[in-house]
Amino acid sequence: MQIIENNLLKEKVYIEKTESGITLICIPKEKSIKKYAICGIGFGSNDNHFILQKEKKEIKNPDGVAHFLEHKLFEQENGQNSLDVLASLGIDANAYTTNDHTAYLFECTDNFYKGLDELFNYIQNPYFTDENVEKEKGIISQEINMYDDEADWKVYINAMKALYHKNPIRIDVAGSIDSINKITKETLYDTYNSFYVPSNMVVVVSGDFKPEEIFKEIKNRINIKNVVPAKKIEEKENLEINQKEINEKMDISLPTFIFAFKVDPEEKEKLKRAIAIEILLELIIGQSTDLYENLYENGNIFEDVMPTFEWSRDYAHILIQGKSNDVEIVKEKLLNKINDLKKNGIEDKQFERAKRKIYGNYVREFNDVSQVALLFIANYFRQINPFEYVENYKIISKEYVENILKEVFDEKNMVKSTINPY
Amino acid sequence: MNYIKKEIKDGVNLHLIINDNFKTDYVVFFLTVPLEKETVTQNALIPNVLKSGCQKYPNYKKIVEELEMMYGAEFDCGVDKEGDNLIIKFFINSINDSFLPEKNNNIEKSLKILTEIIFNPLIENDKFKEEYINIEKQNLELLINSQKDDKDEYAFERCINIMYKDSGFGLSKYGKIVDLEKINSENLYKHYKQLIDTAKIDIFISGNFEKEKITSEVETNELIQKIKERKEKININHFKKEIKNKIENPEVKQEKMEITQGKLVIGLDILPNNFEDFRFIALLYNAIYGDGVNSKLFQIVREKESLAYTAKSMYIPKKNNIFIRCGIEIEKYEKTLELSKRLLEEMKNGEFTDDDFEKAKKYILAGINSIEAEQDTQIIYLFGQELSKLPLTVEEYREKIISIKKEEIIEFAKSIQINTIYFLRN
Repeated sequence: MQIIENNLLKEKVYIEKTESGITLICIPKEKSIKKYAICGIGFGSNDNHFILQKEKKEIKNPDGVAHFLEHKLFEQENGQNSLDVLASLGIDANAYTTNDHTAYLFECTDNFYKGLDELFNYIQNPYFTDENVEKEKGIISQEINMYDDEADWKVYINAMKALYHKNPIRIDVAGSIDSINKITKETLYDTYNSFYVPSNMVVVVSGDFKPEEIFKEIKNRINIKNVVPAKKIEEKENLEINQKEINEKMDISLPTFIFAFKVDPEEKEKLKRAIAIEILLELIIGQSTDLYENLYENGNIFEDVMPTFEWSRDYAHILIQGKSNDVEIVKEKLLNKINDLKKNGIEDKQFERAKRKIYGNYVREFNDVSQVALLFIANYFRQINPFEYVENYKIISKEYVENILKEVFDEKNMVKSTINPY
Repeated sequence: MNYIKKEIKDGVNLHLIINDNFKTDYVVFFLTVPLEKETVTQNALIPNVLKSGCQKYPNYKKIVEELEMMYGAEFDCGVDKEGDNLIIKFFINSINDSFLPEKNNNIEKSLKILTEIIFNPLIENDKFKEEYINIEKQNLELLINSQKDDKDEYAFERCINIMYKDSGFGLSKYGKIVDLEKINSENLYKHYKQLIDTAKIDIFISGNFEKEKITSEVETNELIQKIKERKEKININHFKKEIKNKIENPEVKQEKMEITQGKLVIGLDILPNNFEDFRFIALLYNAIYGDGVNSKLFQIVREKESLAYTAKSMYIPKKNNIFIRCGIEIEKYEKTLELSKRLLEEMKNGEFTDDDFEKAKKYILAGINSIEAEQDTQIIYLFGQELSKLPLTVEEYREKIISIKKEEIIEFAKSIQINTIYFLRN
């Protein structure tokens, strides 16, 4: 068992790789009333093209299979749904699908081990029938329709379409009503058997646990065979953007926009770069910048502008999202600000403030069992130990950040996505 | 957890929640006033005008700079509707000093910043600063118009508005554009002074700190010392006084928008009944009917009939209402409505199993158990108790739920009537 520690955060993390190949992570929190468990599978909506190792067969799945699997895994052969079983134990359970992983989780104050029984029972025992697959199509169709009416979601997916040529991040995690109608129980079994294997799984627990005991409890519940997962086929995405802009109309009151910059995901020092980009976003359009003040006082923006940096193993991009009556003026002022910063460099005081803010956001992630478990699982799939944030934070210099500014914030890598009222 | 309430002066209370389970501390100010047509728009405007700048930090940028130096303290303000009251809230969430590279006195700083923003505004010639009023009026107008952008919330608010018209709970917490037009820097400042002198004020501080030190910090704060004593004038939404009348036919209303998914909202009334106190029975009734994955509504409408992705009901104790909310295909309106009604009938006939009953109890108890697991949930719970004037500890709350009998649910079900059926469609 590996133990890593951070004195400033006053946190310890225990990591173990089991014989079958599952990674176990425990972040003990003695004082927490809640206990949290999450099992992540290294299979997400981007992984729809792969080769089955044994049969040497190439598979191209319809869009939305990872998410469909997530919905269907709760179904049990005895007719029960594991979500209902967990809820009847007073356990709050859920699941989600991202581009690079699928996760099944629960939190509770009581009945933790009964919850753990159920979690590993349904993850390891899929039960798909023609009938239960058909039924799920109606529910997922309504989920897709719900997102279709959300401008914030539309503006995001359009930004992805503008940024990327091939990377499946440009496709809705849930797929489309057409694509999910092509999914059969065979699709689900083939995919399940290819990816739901120990070497592709990680379990994170947080709460009042003794690491050795909880690891033993988890290992006792695992009986899935270890086979080599299918080989993912990823089409290499070049760094050029796909199209400059995508604009659409919806029944909303105010235009909503995203300006996005495409970033090379392959670069070394991923984490250090990520911190530098987060600092830069504060310096460009954070609430204490003159740009933000100018946009706000002139009524160019409404509510908050949300800058984020999203990255995984095969994509990376910066998003600046907001609402405005005049998206063009926001774009002009944003680009001017970036150029000014490149020309004049970063002020020491602003740099210090941005760094402190990033530090605080990071400590906040350790506030409760769910946040900390989610932090560890997301970073596991990025192959990063979250404590390294603090280490890198200490050594990051203004000069380094200025270099990243020049490299990353380039207008030719920028796209615009807007949703306008009719 | 250690909770202490202390009256600072008439109408002004300090609530301390001492707890070392978390890495952050909260300082929150709640100003509570009756929700009234005449004042709601002015009240909705006030928090954003105050945050624009105060004597000490003349613009928002200066406030943010200070927050960033506190290792990214989070500040926010706004309004909330609680029954027939409007709550104007301001809070700062900061990292506890013990997790910082150096001691920074974050709680003390949060308290000082908030009191400056709320009680020491930027005033020029007995008026708020003109520029700030203009920007914030424009922003509030956009906010009022943007309520239709979240279709689910919009449909819910429309249903409430149809049921209560233009009074109390029926009002939008952001007010109305016609009233916004009448506001200027002079009359808003006049209103502000009255608000500060009359609102019920509750200060919550949650985190890891020394009780005596923080209490004295509050009591010796000059701006807090200056606020006047006041008589609380809030609406007490007592479940016994919210009398609903029997109606023959529910109001049915359909409205159109360019949308893909239809939103069905059904407003239910709880009629007078024989129970001394039915709030906990109502909560359990709601859980069996439509709250959570084991509820009848979720199981039938979503899981069995696959009509919806979202299907839930919520109980509003302050107003003796339950609201059913489903996101469905437009063509499935009649079918979903019929099913929802049939399930209400089933509740009256006692057509739910002991298992359904026990599952719903467990679901509610799990929620109660986790109140203390999150700082903000705990503050909201304790503040809710403060407003209800029927304070209940978490332990008492748990006991009330455990003691409910199945027969009581069936008896209670008879007091449910459909008031309004609202459908947002294309």
